[in-house]
Amino acid sequence: MAVKKKFPYKAAIVSCNGGCRAVKGEAGCSEGCIGCGACVDACKFGAISLNEYGVAEVDESKCIACQKCTKVCPQEIIHIHECANYIVVKCSNKSKGAAAKKQCEASCIGCGICEKTCTAGAVKVTDNCAVIDEDACLSCGMCSVKCPRHVIHDLRGIFTPAR
Amino acid sequence: MAIFKVNGQSVQPEKNQKLLRFLRDELHLTSVKDGCSEGACGACTVIIDGKTCKACVPDTDSLDGREIITVEGLTEWEQQVYTYAYGKAGAVQCGFCIPGMVMCTKALLDENMEPTDDEIRYALRNNYCRCTGYVKIMDAVRLAAKILKAGEIPDDGDPNWTLGNRVARIDVEEKVLGYGKYPDDFYLDGMLYGVALRSKYARARVLSIDTSRAKALPGVEAVVTAEDIPGENKIGHLKHDQYTLIPVGSLVHYLGDAIALVAAKDRETAEKAIKLIKVEYEALPHVHTIEEAAAPDAPKVFDEEENNICAHKHISRGNAEEAIRNSKYVISHHFETPWTEHAFLEPECAVAFYDEDGDVFIYSTDQSAHQTLHECSLLLGTDKVKVQNALVGGGFGGKEDMTVQHLAALLTYVTKKPVKVKFTRAESLLVHPKRHPFYMDMTMGCDEDGNIMGVKASVTSDTGAFASLGGPVLERACTHAAGPYHYENFEIEGTAYYTNNPPAGAFRGFGVTQTCFATETLLNMMADKVGITPWEIRYRNAIRPGEVLPNGQIVDDSTGLVETLEAVKEDYDAAMAAGKPVGIGCAMKNAGVGVGIPDTGRVKLIVEDDEKLHIYSGASCIGQGLGTVLVQMIVTNTDIRQEDIVYERSNTWISPDSGTTSGSRQTLVTGEACRRACEKLMEDRRAGKELKDMKGIVYYGEYLAKTDPLGANVPNPVSHVAYGYATQMCVVDPKTGKLDQIVAAHDVGKAVNPLSCEGQIEGGVVMSMGYALREQYPIDENCKPIQKYGSLRLFRSHEVPKIKAIVVDKPGLKVACGAIGIGEITSIPTAPAIADAYFRYDGIRRYSLPLVSTPYERKG
Repeated sequence: MAVKKKFPYKAAIVSCNGGCRAVKGEAGCSEGCIGCGACVDACKFGAISLNEYGVAEVDESKCIACQKCTKVCPQEIIHIHECANYIVVKCSNKSKGAAAKKQCEASCIGCGICEKTCTAGAVKVTDNCAVIDEDACLSCGMCSVKCPRHVIHDLRGIFTPAR
Repeated sequence: MAIFKVNGQSVQPEKNQKLLRFLRDELHLTSVKDGCSEGACGACTVIIDGKTCKACVPDTDSLDGREIITVEGLTEWEQQVYTYAYGKAGAVQCGFCIPGMVMCTKALLDENMEPTDDEIRYALRNNYCRCTGYVKIMDAVRLAAKILKAGEIPDDGDPNWTLGNRVARIDVEEKVLGYGKYPDDFYLDGMLYGVALRSKYARARVLSIDTSRAKALPGVEAVVTAEDIPGENKIGHLKHDQYTLIPVGSLVHYLGDAIALVAAKDRETAEKAIKLIKVEYEALPHVHTIEEAAAPDAPKVFDEEENNICAHKHISRGNAEEAIRNSKYVISHHFETPWTEHAFLEPECAVAFYDEDGDVFIYSTDQSAHQTLHECSLLLGTDKVKVQNALVGGGFGGKEDMTVQHLAALLTYVTKKPVKVKFTRAESLLVHPKRHPFYMDMTMGCDEDGNIMGVKASVTSDTGAFASLGGPVLERACTHAAGPYHYENFEIEGTAYYTNNPPAGAFRGFGVTQTCFATETLLNMMADKVGITPWEIRYRNAIRPGEVLPNGQIVDDSTGLVETLEAVKEDYDAAMAAGKPVGIGCAMKNAGVGVGIPDTGRVKLIVEDDEKLHIYSGASCIGQGLGTVLVQMIVTNTDIRQEDIVYERSNTWISPDSGTTSGSRQTLVTGEACRRACEKLMEDRRAGKELKDMKGIVYYGEYLAKTDPLGANVPNPVSHVAYGYATQMCVVDPKTGKLDQIVAAHDVGKAVNPLSCEGQIEGGVVMSMGYALREQYPIDENCKPIQKYGSLRLFRSHEVPKIKAIVVDKPGLKVACGAIGIGEITSIPTAPAIADAYFRYDGIRRYSLPLVSTPYERKG
């Protein structure tokens, strides 16, 4: 760890895949990261950068969960989570299935496969987007493996590629 | 197709499949256990590129270039370290979760040689253990870290294996390294897979069954219906009311009733064939609650019965009514306890085949091989059956009934081939009998000093779709509702109802877990009324040696309830002085079946050709450690050393029937039989015989635990040969409202192995924390259980509070060197202690489980 942190470790997570890069503008997603860089500027630890898709991404080894970024994000899509919960939903799109599909190539369409798959009852589709209850999640990754849209990520890079 | 490495070897699966299936079915790496195949249990945990991963989750095609490690791939040094650490710490019970836990340990320690306690809890938290309460597994991780750092395994010298010593169990290595076999680990040549078609309705009449399309499916070897059963269709533990297959014209009793069986070359084909079977039903209204079952015009669950009453008990001594009328303080209340699922880590599995004697041979995971033999013989109409216990991955009462054994036996009988029948986790949740939900109305009367004058109660239970052990569970609930106190006036009436819900049967505590919640909660309320502490009211009423229990039995010198109360006193006073919310509960639990039912332990000790003494007893070790108990018993009672003793798993052709692993009875009943066999053996030893001179001689020991039946016409009937006693207390953290500590003091007579005793206590406490605080097994209005394994909300490692296990030795029992079983009582007083602690925390009295308005309550 680059920064001294208290266990259980927490870090910020950006709930966006950056998949709508292909269809920006009016047809794009209105809930996702807009690449404004406010979080990058706000972070004193250099833990956030914009990735190759122009979307904010957190380096958990540098983040101390100070919440500066969550406060400045105009889209309100940065959250604090426990690092031990490495299965995360990287989407905030609230549009219905067909619309969500059009807006982004990696959007949650609210199909509910994750909810049906989850043995722990930890995933719920809320406002057309999957949400994981971290207290109940067993981090098995079954939802991540089954997600047809590759919205649910394994931050360790086992079930989904590390970014 | 993906190429990846498994334990250093490059592999390329021919078809895409779940990693778990590839590791087990093709590479036969059977340390990777299949506990649920749905990502919940963690028994299949492996390491992929340094990270733990449940092998049932990823597809092999997604693993190109990865490096996978299973327990089989540990270095020799690591194998030694983990075997030593897990054994020394007492972390291994049934063992089914252990290889997964070892993988979690390795992944943690490979990255972090000095983990903190919190880091250890987190490293294990995605893996369930139902036996240990995680306490000793966490100890094992700490110890492994220490040894890995030191670079050498401590030399403990020659351990003392006599009674009272903390020896590592005899089955540690095979369970840590994963080479010990549970039934699912057998892969026989030409083995078929059997699957059952379950009913579509909870209550319906089967009008017709058409199996023609299923039979025609390539790969299907047999489709079996009730007509194909050679012997009795209806089997059962005591009452034979459990249909193996529902015949045309008969009633379906619940959603788990099987209509037909398929045996096919693989599981996928069998499952496909099941879907091709056409069944016509006449759907009928079902019975879902006790109220519906008891209604005068209720639909009948059984055609064969007059009503839905499975069992009725009325027990009365003294005059409870009058005693309560004359009491200064009287409290009455209604209590409810829920269904509970055993959630053992190993789902039911059996493998059957024809052996060289032409017998149907069954590898089973059960609580009595002889019971399996008896019921399968009945079903097949032949006694040419053998049963061999494999390792048993936890039971807790849930593996006392036939679930898969008889199905595998029947399919082998029909196909003449080896057949494996293994439940999916969903089937396991639906089919095996659960803990009974109880409704209880109880009244207690006390004098001005808090002395109990009388207790009167009426209880009902839902025993579901067949009798199983519903009658005996009700009986034990009733007899033990009186509590471990010295008063004379007690009356209780109990009724168990059939419904179309899944069946209920034996579950650790056997009915006492339910009534104890009511009795102990009333006693806590009474203490407040009288103006004394809940500890004090128990101390005043506690049964002491030579006194008479409400059932009339005079208790012996081993009675140690007072000692368990005294054992928690310091912690109790300290918590009270600190102003912390603290709750307390006491319990008693019989060891042995009791109440006049023949209850016999039998052991054969035979010196085999290897010049070692082999222990044969038809008594299942279901993870509690019976093998180690018997070895310690022999070392204590003979001059034979531990390394010359071999424990043989229970079977039905050499091992004599020693009864079911139930009623906390094996340590006492089989233990005493073993001690008696030792006496005979010692006659030869004293005559100068060496082991090599004793080859082939059978030393047989038998012990009948003789008791009086309920209602026996004697002044002081002996209902049970022995009772264990316990006091548990719970402290709630006043800031967080979560559990801070549980102290559990248990009187076990003579602790055979205090390390194992502590493990039982910690595991029992954590199991009942679930029962008290959040576990549920909801059944919807169609009588369908709706939870999956991962949402039963069993406690996880990072959620377990401090648990202080205190083992109290109290000599006095004249058999089994004074050892009294501890299996069930560990789970009994926990819930009322927790409930009272929450009352002290927020002033709310809670009368039903799981407790509402705690931080553990299920959201949504």
